[in-house]
Amino acid sequence: MAEFHKADIEKLIDGVLPWPATQDMLKSAKDTNRFDKYVEIMQERVSFDEPILLPLTPMLFIVAKGGERVVQCRCGHDFGDYRVNWKLSALIRVRDDEESISEVYKGREMPDPSWIQIREYICGGCGAQLEVEAVPRGCPPDFDFLPDLDTFYREWLGRPLPDEAECVDRTLERIGEWSR
Amino acid sequence: MADLSLKDQIAANREAFEKTGSLFGLERLKRKETDPGTYEAVWHILSNLCNAAWATGCKVSSSPIAAEGGDALWGLHTPTGEAICISRGISAHAGLLSDMIKNFIDIGYEEYPGFKQGDIFENNDPHYGGIHSPDFDMCMPLFYEGELVAWASCVSHVADAGSVTPGSIGFMNPDCYSDGIAISMERVGEHDRFYPWYELRIRSRTRTPDFVMGDARGRLAGCITIRDRLHDVIEKYGLDFFKEASQEFVEDSRRYAVARVKTQTVPGRIRKSQFKDLAMKGKPVLLAKQDVDCMFNLPMELTINADASVDLSLAGASGTVPFGENISPTALKSGLMMGYSHIIGFDMFNSGPISAWNIEMPPDGSWANPYPVDYQAASGVAWAPAVTWVSSLYEVFGRLFQMRGFIEEMAAGSGTIMTAEFSGINQTGMYLTGLTLEQASQGSPARGFADGENSAWCIYTPEADFGNAEISELYYPILFLGRNVAPDSGGFGQFRGGLGHTAVWMVYNTPGLEYQCGDAGMRSKIVGNHGMYGAYPAVPDRPGYGHDTNVKELIDAQKPLIHERGGPENPAVAMAIEARDVQDNMVAPFVTPEPLQDYDIIVHPIAGAEAMGDPIARDPASVVKDLNEGWTTERVASEIYGVVAGKANGSYVADGAKTEKQRQAIRKERLEGAISFKDWWEQEREKVQARENMDPAVIRMWAGSMSLAPKYAEELRRFWNLPDDFTFGS
Repeated sequence: MAEFHKADIEKLIDGVLPWPATQDMLKSAKDTNRFDKYVEIMQERVSFDEPILLPLTPMLFIVAKGGERVVQCRCGHDFGDYRVNWKLSALIRVRDDEESISEVYKGREMPDPSWIQIREYICGGCGAQLEVEAVPRGCPPDFDFLPDLDTFYREWLGRPLPDEAECVDRTLERIGEWSR
Repeated sequence: MADLSLKDQIAANREAFEKTGSLFGLERLKRKETDPGTYEAVWHILSNLCNAAWATGCKVSSSPIAAEGGDALWGLHTPTGEAICISRGISAHAGLLSDMIKNFIDIGYEEYPGFKQGDIFENNDPHYGGIHSPDFDMCMPLFYEGELVAWASCVSHVADAGSVTPGSIGFMNPDCYSDGIAISMERVGEHDRFYPWYELRIRSRTRTPDFVMGDARGRLAGCITIRDRLHDVIEKYGLDFFKEASQEFVEDSRRYAVARVKTQTVPGRIRKSQFKDLAMKGKPVLLAKQDVDCMFNLPMELTINADASVDLSLAGASGTVPFGENISPTALKSGLMMGYSHIIGFDMFNSGPISAWNIEMPPDGSWANPYPVDYQAASGVAWAPAVTWVSSLYEVFGRLFQMRGFIEEMAAGSGTIMTAEFSGINQTGMYLTGLTLEQASQGSPARGFADGENSAWCIYTPEADFGNAEISELYYPILFLGRNVAPDSGGFGQFRGGLGHTAVWMVYNTPGLEYQCGDAGMRSKIVGNHGMYGAYPAVPDRPGYGHDTNVKELIDAQKPLIHERGGPENPAVAMAIEARDVQDNMVAPFVTPEPLQDYDIIVHPIAGAEAMGDPIARDPASVVKDLNEGWTTERVASEIYGVVAGKANGSYVADGAKTEKQRQAIRKERLEGAISFKDWWEQEREKVQARENMDPAVIRMWAGSMSLAPKYAEELRRFWNLPDDFTFGS
């Protein structure tokens, strides 16, 4: 079984690992402890101390915080319960007219705003652009991933998390609160 | 098992899988365990045997698509149809070929007309599992000492299948009756020869019969190559070994894919929206019902279960369209299998990996399952929505690999796929129609550690190759004036998608040529895909052409010609040449309204792919490299990437301090310009309800999606807090 050094994984993340070494990683059998090494690396790179349970994206992490599982940006900005689509707690900028779209796309490369809008999800803490969706008006934001964290830790990693939580999508409950 | 009919064997296999969770009930891989060396050797022999068929068949076929582009595939199957291994080539068809063999068995052909050595069976009919008429699927039963021990299969993409418009990308087809020649689950030959009436039909019903028959002979040659070489394999290793090992290869591949899911992903539910436009209103069409713009909803919901099995849903898929862009569920599954083979099941590519999938039947009457509601739906280029949908699979698994730290496996999705076909008299006086190969070499998706590769990837085939320009010039009355990397065509991100390219053609030596700018997954009104992790999406496809030009005068005067796409606000076709009819911003797809003539110019863009990551996180050195290569512009460098660069000694150099300041300014502008999601949601739901600035195509799409999938409709209403009876109408 292959064993890759943490330093090489860091270089890979930063896009500076030489191509032959990258190819070696691609072609070799995977290291079984990669997840732990990756979480360790990311934990060192974030600006908070709460333990990372899952790197949701390179910028967003599900962390254990005061008995809850919440989504946090690298900068520490808190997006709340991981079972609610984090986008509902983000800042958003929507390009849905020619003027705003032309700030990104020019001339014949402009999409038609009556067919598609460009939604930019921004971290309220650090201003990072976390996701960009190109969707027609009426499309709910993608809830990109709702992990079954307890199954993952209990059955796939063999080390159950304390305080198991029900894995249900609570996004519409939040919408229901807004609607009242 | 051998004394059971093939139909009964299929039923027994299904029962054994349900009972044991292992294909063919193989709880142990005995041949692999007892003789791993021979097991591995025979796998490679069988794999090479398929590749030998590919090499032979493509050369025999002689059509530019097969001979130059390798746009074909051969496979070896178990007696019950499972693919054991396949050749290089257009791997999207492996599932179709398996299902075709199973279908021949299922509808009773074993009893009548029966299967015997030398029989040739074919299908290209979407109603029976085909993808679209130009893709001719063939299979031959292979016997050893009187026993059917395997099948050889093949698909090749013919230049013309006799659909209502010339060529093989039949987006304009209004119904299945215009899709062209139908080979509907037929025995088309015996004793290794096609029936004479098969060839007569090809000759009267396709526009390029010599090439179509060449492809048929190529398919046959490849299948016979498989049969002959398989005979030698069985002679050497024994029939029992072959039969047992071939089943083990399929089950082994299933186990590999399941293990990869379990060790490299995370259980849970993934959702990814995807859309595709087809703007046809106001363009020349065939029937009145086609004077309409369409938008496809291509949603993907994927659930990874505790046992690493995968559930897949297309709930929310929009309705059928009055064009050739509807696909049967069987063909869609084959496309999915191809995508999965790129991402997960690539160690031994066969039918194994997808057996761990539970695919919910797409809504009746959707583009992905048309026939229960619209039996006449056309499928002239059924791949168009399918490959766009499959693109989500790349991004979805890219996200999953990231979560487990397997950065080296991460990929974003594809961009768009626009084709070019010609029809007319070529320079030798011969009528010709067919597909160029430009679209088979796009930018590849951004990776977790690097940009995608330029012009080096194609979603529907690992055989990414746009072929030699000189070969295209040999067949078609065109000359390449340019084939170059297109700046800023791979989205904008920390890692950008590989860039696409532009083909610039001059029409030459023809009394008239039709240019069909076709749709095999293009997006022209909308951007190509989303942006992953905060990147901006790739640009839409916008081709151009100039008709009745001054290019001959420019050549005679030895003045500069047109060689590239030009900038988005200064398209070269409008700046570098003069023409009576200049189109510099066409919304694809379309067919030129009158024949192009000598010295006319076509500017045909090929897309880059999806980018990944916040653009202002891109390494300034990468931006400067792109500037120096001519792959991005100063505006994009400064305004999108926040990199301020100036020229020194003829090359761009980044100014570190100014770059940091510019990036801080972009962050500040974002924070000041954005609003809370809740504030936006409150405004937006009013606009949704009022259908404000929503094109009729978008409104029709939502209406279709909601009427075909009530649960999807309910969730959409609840998200926007709309009345229980809200619909978008039609």
